[in-house]
Amino acid sequence: MNTVKVKTEQKPILTMRGISKAFPGVQALRRVDLNVLTGEIHGLVGKNGAGKTTLMAVVMGIQEPNEGTIEIGDRTYQSMNPQEAMQAGIAFVPQHVAMMDSLTVAENILAGELPKNKLGFIDWKSVEREAKERLNKLNLHLDVTKRVEGLGVAEKTMLAIAKALFGNAKLIILDEPTASLSRADINRLFDFVKSLKEKGASFVYISHHLEEVFEICDRVTVMRDGRIVGTEYVSDIDIPKLIVMMVGEDVEDYSRKSTCTDEIVFVLNNLARRGYYEDINFELRKGEIIGITGLQGCGAEQLGKGLFGLEYRGVGEVKINGKEFTAKKPIDSFNEGLAYLPQDRYRFGLIGVRPVRENVTYPILNRLIQMINLINRSKEKQIVEGFINELEIITPSQEQPVRLLSGGNQQKVVFAKLATTKPEILILHEPTQGVDVRAKMDIFRIVDELASQGVAAIIISTEIRELMGICDRIIVMNNGRITDEFLKGAKNTTPENILDAIEGGKNNHE
Amino acid sequence: MNNGHKIDWVKLFLDNFIWIIVVLVFTYFAVQVPNFVTPGNIVNILLHASVLGVLVIGQAIVLMTGNFDLSAEGVLSLTTILAMWLMVEPRTDAGGAQASGLMLSPYIVIPIMLMVGMLSGWLIGIMITRLKMNNFIVTLAMQLVLRGIAMLISGGQIMTGSPPLFNWMGGTRINGFPISVGVTLLMYLVVNYLLNQSKFGRELRAVGANTDAAHASGFDPQKTVTRAYIISGFMGAFAGWMLLGRLETSISTLGKGMTLETVAAAVIGGVSLQGGLGSVGGAFAGVILLSLIDNALNLIDIDPFWVQGIRGLIILVALLIEAQKFRYKPKVIHENGNVIVEKQV
Repeated sequence: MNTVKVKTEQKPILTMRGISKAFPGVQALRRVDLNVLTGEIHGLVGKNGAGKTTLMAVVMGIQEPNEGTIEIGDRTYQSMNPQEAMQAGIAFVPQHVAMMDSLTVAENILAGELPKNKLGFIDWKSVEREAKERLNKLNLHLDVTKRVEGLGVAEKTMLAIAKALFGNAKLIILDEPTASLSRADINRLFDFVKSLKEKGASFVYISHHLEEVFEICDRVTVMRDGRIVGTEYVSDIDIPKLIVMMVGEDVEDYSRKSTCTDEIVFVLNNLARRGYYEDINFELRKGEIIGITGLQGCGAEQLGKGLFGLEYRGVGEVKINGKEFTAKKPIDSFNEGLAYLPQDRYRFGLIGVRPVRENVTYPILNRLIQMINLINRSKEKQIVEGFINELEIITPSQEQPVRLLSGGNQQKVVFAKLATTKPEILILHEPTQGVDVRAKMDIFRIVDELASQGVAAIIISTEIRELMGICDRIIVMNNGRITDEFLKGAKNTTPENILDAIEGGKNNHE
Repeated sequence: MNNGHKIDWVKLFLDNFIWIIVVLVFTYFAVQVPNFVTPGNIVNILLHASVLGVLVIGQAIVLMTGNFDLSAEGVLSLTTILAMWLMVEPRTDAGGAQASGLMLSPYIVIPIMLMVGMLSGWLIGIMITRLKMNNFIVTLAMQLVLRGIAMLISGGQIMTGSPPLFNWMGGTRINGFPISVGVTLLMYLVVNYLLNQSKFGRELRAVGANTDAAHASGFDPQKTVTRAYIISGFMGAFAGWMLLGRLETSISTLGKGMTLETVAAAVIGGVSLQGGLGSVGGAFAGVILLSLIDNALNLIDIDPFWVQGIRGLIILVALLIEAQKFRYKPKVIHENGNVIVEKQV
C-alpha cells in the first residue's frame, strides 16, 4: 500500500454535481456528486448495479442525465454528446479493448492521420517512426509493426491508454482493466498507469478488486444504490471499512427461519463445462435456499443458464427427485419443475410490449388450452389476478404492457411467471438487481414463502449481505470451481470472510 | 378487454384510427371520383382486396414474428402456372405454353397448389431459423426462384382455360357478389379470432417482440417462425387459386409487385415491422385502404407514370408513421415516489 501526499494546489479535472438518471423502473443515479483531481487515480467501487456504469456513461456523454451539471476543466455542461466529451478530454478504456485488430500497432496509433508522401500514398516508414516516437515518450515499448490481435490483454490495454493520451485525453476511465490479467501483467499495467499519473494524466479506476484499489488509487469513491456513499483517501481507510461502505449497514436485513428439510430434491454430480466450470457437486433439499456467489466470470452464471437449458450444460449428472434430468429447452425444465429467473429481465425475462397477463402465463399455455389451440381466457385471467394480489404487483390492469411497470413490479411479474409452473427448484440470478429497497423485501418474502412451501432455491448473486440474510448456505465459486462454503449462522460467515473467499482465487494465482 | 375499468377512449380511437381514415378516403373518392360508387366498381375494389387480403394474412403473421415474407407473390405465380400445367388440355396448335398432358382433376390440383405453397414456406423457415440466413434476402431470392420455375414451366407464355371445377372459388358470384370476397372476409374473421385466442397467436407475438425472452419462457422460436412462413406460403397458394379462378388465365409474371403492397397494407394496419404488435384485423383495414386508392387512381385520368410514384409514396408514409411509433419520447411516470421512465434506446 502506498501513501499519497495530495498537493493542495491540485485542481479538479472533473466535477459532477447533483447528477440524477432514471431508467424504466430504476433510479440509477440519485444526486451524485463526484470530483476527480488532475493527476489523480480515482477509484470507483460498488456492487453490480450500484450505478458506476451509468455514472461513467454520463461522463462519456452516452447517457443524458435527468438533472445535474458536469464540469470538465473550466467548462460546464448540462449534458454532452460523446463527441463533446471526447473533445473535453474524456476517454474510456473498457475491459475488452476494441481496436482494429487486423491492423498494426502503428496503424492503430496513427489511424486517421497517416502521413502521406508526395504522391499521396501512405509513407509507411514515417508511420512506424512516428508511432515509435510517440510510444517512447510514454515509455511504452511495443513492436509497432505487430498486429494488434497479436498483443496480450495488458499490452492492448496499455496501447488503448496511450492512444487515448495521443488524442489529448485528460481523464481516462479504466473499467476492470485487470479482470483477465496475471499478477505480472497487472504489475506492468500499474507501473505504466502510475508513470502516466506522474506526467499529469488523471484516471478513474473502476474495479471489483479492492486490494488493487489500495495498490494504485489515491482516493476512492464508493457507490451504492445509485448514491455516493463517500470519497476517502486510501491512506485513511482499509478494506474492511471499504466493504462496510459498499455493502451498507443501514439497510434493513432480511432474516428468516430456515425451512430446510431432509428430503433431497436436486443433485449435481461432477458437472463440468469446458472453459466455464468443472467439478460442480452439491445437493439441494426441499425448502432449502442456497446462494452461489463469486466474481464475474466465476462460472455461476453459465451454471444457472446451463441447468435451465438456455445454454449448453456440459457433462455430468443432474437429478431431480432421483431422476436423471437434462434440459434441452427451457420448456423441458418448466415441465420438470425447474424454473429460472434471468439476470437480464429486459432481454430474457419479459416481453416488454406485451401485457402483464400474457407474460405471466407464457410457460403454462399448454395447460390453459381448452380445445385445439384456444386458450381458456377466463381461467387465465383468474390465475393472473391471483398472482397480482398475492405478490402485490402494482399495475393499472392485466393488460398493461410490462415495460411500463416499475423495476420491482416487473421482477414480480417474472416471479409470477415462474410460480405458475409450480416449480420444485428455483434458480434465481440476481433477483434483486435494479429494484428498490421495498421491492427487494417483497422479493425476499416471495422466495421465503415459496421455500416454506417446499421449493428449493438457488440464488446466484453478488449481493453478499442479501445472501447472508436469506440463504441457508452460501457457496463461493472461483474460476469455475466451488472453493468455499459458508453455513448460515456459523462463526466464520461474515461479509469480510466471504469477500475474501470470493477474491481468494484472484490473489492466489500468479 | 378493459377488465371492468372504464373504457380508454383515446386508446380505442388510436387503435381504430385506420378505419376512420378508410371512411374518410372512401367518402372523398365517392365525391371526387366519377363512377367510384357504382356496384360494378365496388365489386372491383373488393375483388382486388380479396386477393391482396389473403396474401396480407400471411404477411401479417410473418411480420408479427419480426420477419419479412417477400416470396408470396412468387408462390402465387408458381402455383397458378403449376396448376394450369397439371390441369389443362395440351394445345394442338403451335406456339403458347404447353401443358403436361396429365389433365389432373382440380380436386387433386388444388391440394397440390396449397402443398407447394406450404413447402416453399417450410424451406424458407428452415433457411432462416436453422441455417441462420437473412429473412429479407432469403424470401426475396425465393420469390425469384419460384417465379423462375414458373417461367420454365410456362416458357413465359400465357396459359388459359382453367376448368370450371377449379374456377368456382375465384369466379362464382351470387347475385353479382363474388364469393371470393366472402371467403376472404370469413378468413379474416377466423384468423383474427384464432390469433387472439390461441397459443400460437401468443407465440407469434412473443417471438417477434423478444426472441430470447420467448425462448426462456418456454417457446420454440425456430418452430414458430417456420410455421408462420408455412402459413404465409399456404396463403400465397390460396390467393393464387382465387386469382386464377377469376382470370382463368395465368402467366409467370402474375402478381408482380404485390409483395410491397402486402407489407404496406399490414404496416398501415398497425402490424409492427419490429414484430410483436398488431393484429390481422388491423391489417385488413390496410388492405381496404390500399385497394380504394388503387382503384381510384385507375379511374381518374392521370398519367400512369404517376400511379407508381403515388403507390411508393403511400408505402413511405406508412413506414414513416410506423417508425414514429418507436421514436416518441418516453413518458415519465411517478409511482410510489419513484420516477419511472420507459426504457430508451
